[in-house]
Amino acid sequence: MSSIGVRRSVVACASWLALIFCASLYGQDCAQKALTPEETQHRLSELAKSAQTEMAQHRFQEAAHDLREAACLDPRDAKIFYGLGSMEAASGNFLAARKALATADRLQPGSPLSLAMLVRVNASMGDVDSLKAALSQLAARFAANGELHAALAQFLLQNKFSDLALAESLRSQKAGSTSPQSMLDLAVVENMVGAYDDAIRNAVAIESQAGLPAAIRASAAGIAGLSYESSGQREPAIAHLQTAIQLDPLHENSYLALSFLLEKAQRYAEATAILEQGRARLPQSTALLLPLGSNLVLAEKYAEGISVLQELLQKSPNEYDAYLKLADAFRKTGAGDKEIKILGDLEGRKPDYPQIHLLLARALLNFEPADYARTLDELAHAEQASTPDAEIFYLRGKVYLATNRTDDAMAALRRAIELGPMDPSPYYQLGRLYEKLGQPHKAKDTFARMQYMKSSANR
Amino acid sequence: MTRRDLLRSGAAAILSPVAAATGPQNLSYPLREIQGSLTPPELFFVRDHFPEPELSLETWQLRIEGRVSHPRQMSFSDLLELPTKKIEAVLECSGNGTHGSAASNAKWEGVPISFLFEPVGLSRDATFVALEGADTGRLGQNSSSLPYTQIVPLEKCLDSASLIAFKMNDLFLPRRNGFPARALFPGWYAMDSVKWLRRMVVLGPADRHSSFVDSGMDRLYNRATAGANGMETRRLSAIQVKSAIAWPPDKMRLAAGSYEVWGFAWTGNGSVREVAVSLDGGHAWQLANPQPSPGPYGWVRWKYQWTASPGDYSLMSQATDSQGNRQPLERDAARKDGYELNWCAPLSCSVR
Repeated sequence: MSSIGVRRSVVACASWLALIFCASLYGQDCAQKALTPEETQHRLSELAKSAQTEMAQHRFQEAAHDLREAACLDPRDAKIFYGLGSMEAASGNFLAARKALATADRLQPGSPLSLAMLVRVNASMGDVDSLKAALSQLAARFAANGELHAALAQFLLQNKFSDLALAESLRSQKAGSTSPQSMLDLAVVENMVGAYDDAIRNAVAIESQAGLPAAIRASAAGIAGLSYESSGQREPAIAHLQTAIQLDPLHENSYLALSFLLEKAQRYAEATAILEQGRARLPQSTALLLPLGSNLVLAEKYAEGISVLQELLQKSPNEYDAYLKLADAFRKTGAGDKEIKILGDLEGRKPDYPQIHLLLARALLNFEPADYARTLDELAHAEQASTPDAEIFYLRGKVYLATNRTDDAMAALRRAIELGPMDPSPYYQLGRLYEKLGQPHKAKDTFARMQYMKSSANR
Repeated sequence: MTRRDLLRSGAAAILSPVAAATGPQNLSYPLREIQGSLTPPELFFVRDHFPEPELSLETWQLRIEGRVSHPRQMSFSDLLELPTKKIEAVLECSGNGTHGSAASNAKWEGVPISFLFEPVGLSRDATFVALEGADTGRLGQNSSSLPYTQIVPLEKCLDSASLIAFKMNDLFLPRRNGFPARALFPGWYAMDSVKWLRRMVVLGPADRHSSFVDSGMDRLYNRATAGANGMETRRLSAIQVKSAIAWPPDKMRLAAGSYEVWGFAWTGNGSVREVAVSLDGGHAWQLANPQPSPGPYGWVRWKYQWTASPGDYSLMSQATDSQGNRQPLERDAARKDGYELNWCAPLSCSVR
């Protein structure tokens, strides 16, 4: 700002109110020539037009530049400052945006627009304290504007400020907002924060309104279901999720949630039926395949489960959990070779998958004839990949015992006991090792210790 | 959204369903189930006096009144939109047994009470604050049904660490732990951290708060010591230095081997300075290895590597705080109440 501009602005400040504008003008860097009122109007009109064009073309910085000049020409026009704040924000000049919006709010305190935009700016800046301050001001001055608080709630929820979204949803409700979407948003947040009774009451109110779109009612039924489950009431939870599916059969999450509850209740056949139903209606969905395959295996329908999981891996080879489910199904059907193969595939695709080497070693050791060399190799990888784990040494001890490397077996089993002193399994192997070494007293003592451990664990 | 996303979001809560309780709850869990140093919500102890109230976020309000110039009524939204503070702090029931697990440690979030008091204009003679919960009932057969109430000195309320807390370990408070908001006085026994808070009444030095007195609450939570002049009583406040062995549990049977004995230590006076372990009922002590202190109010997790050979053992732990307070080896014989049970009680362990 030039010194002439500053001086002119300061001279123009005759009142306390004007001083506020002067401070603002100082900040806006006003340095234009003196214009007649007609010239001013003409220039303002030009600036408004060009700013609109620039805004439409997403040339926000240029629009902000024009609006800055306009603000200097008419420092009492709240709309100009609001536009300027918006353009500064769109250009990423958040501090300037805050200042312009604060001025706009001061000029037009009866409108919530500038403060609402300030909320957005503060949220973009991640400045939670200022965000809260702007929301508190909105609450104090526009408490009765339910639509405003509902819109803020939605914005805050989308931007992951869920606590504040809850606050605004509650304000919206208190203001008498009857919008089903805002009531649904409130129920969603209440479910998230653990206010299950509130969530159920709001969600059921929406679900039971026959005149509302089925998709909204279905979402509400889903929330009611989840909240019932969270408050320990499984049967109503299942009933509401079933309603959600009836209302909107193309909503994948309802199938997932309902099957999850049924799986938790060990009602695998029912979970499978729901997921099959979902699959028939949403044939492109891959998200349904993992729980479907998993529940089929749990329901001991191994062939179908294996087929579904294989289909999933064909479509989504990075669905790592499916490899484990498939390995589990192969193990349960006695197909140890296939179990080893699928775990090997997972190892090849995701070598750092947690415990993959240990899982593979376990599978290799359980297979007849066991591949001891490869088992030891996997155990070596497992040791490199994790902190010392008693099971690595336990399995190693078993391999050495089976291959008559008695000294190595002794060392490995002792290490397993050291790392997992509460586990009786290594004591059993150690007892067998003593038997093999012809030390029956030590063997007897070790087996007794194992029994002692087991009885201790069972107490 | 994948199944995993679904479980991570709203549905994650269904992993730990919390059913509404019909009567006062008295719940605690073995300390050995705690991974790390924060107590997860499902393992956090609960000591209720009255049944849990049914509160709604939509109607919950906190009133601040009494000796103030501008009484204040706040909604939950108002609370959420005020600046908050996070503090790791232990809450311990003042009647927690020597090995009892009625102590838990969490990271709390809430609004400092001092901040809430700023706009209300405390009167010059304001001395105490009565904190009233939404839970009501009778403490004794002859008392009337009144809200749970405690009285805390104003000075403690104005401490920057004293909060109206609404989150525990980054999650909103579970219903049984005071949902939607509770008082939190770090460093003090838990009875003052009133759950389901709904009213704070600022009192002068001579003010009588009827809920507190008429309910009989004034006769609870007092330290009673037999002295030369008879029984002396004093209101409980700061948590006494204490430690507990989380593992092994009492009467454990172990095979000879190497074990990690571990537990927690805490105090309401400064921070934990050291923890020692004895294997022989308090004759010989070795220093345990405590994790770094999280600050003045949280507990520290400690461990001691024990090479156990066959024999019978009497395990004890003893904490000392930064103000030099050390857990006593036995209960003060002059104490006639059942609070502040912080002496080093042994647990037995046999190794074969």
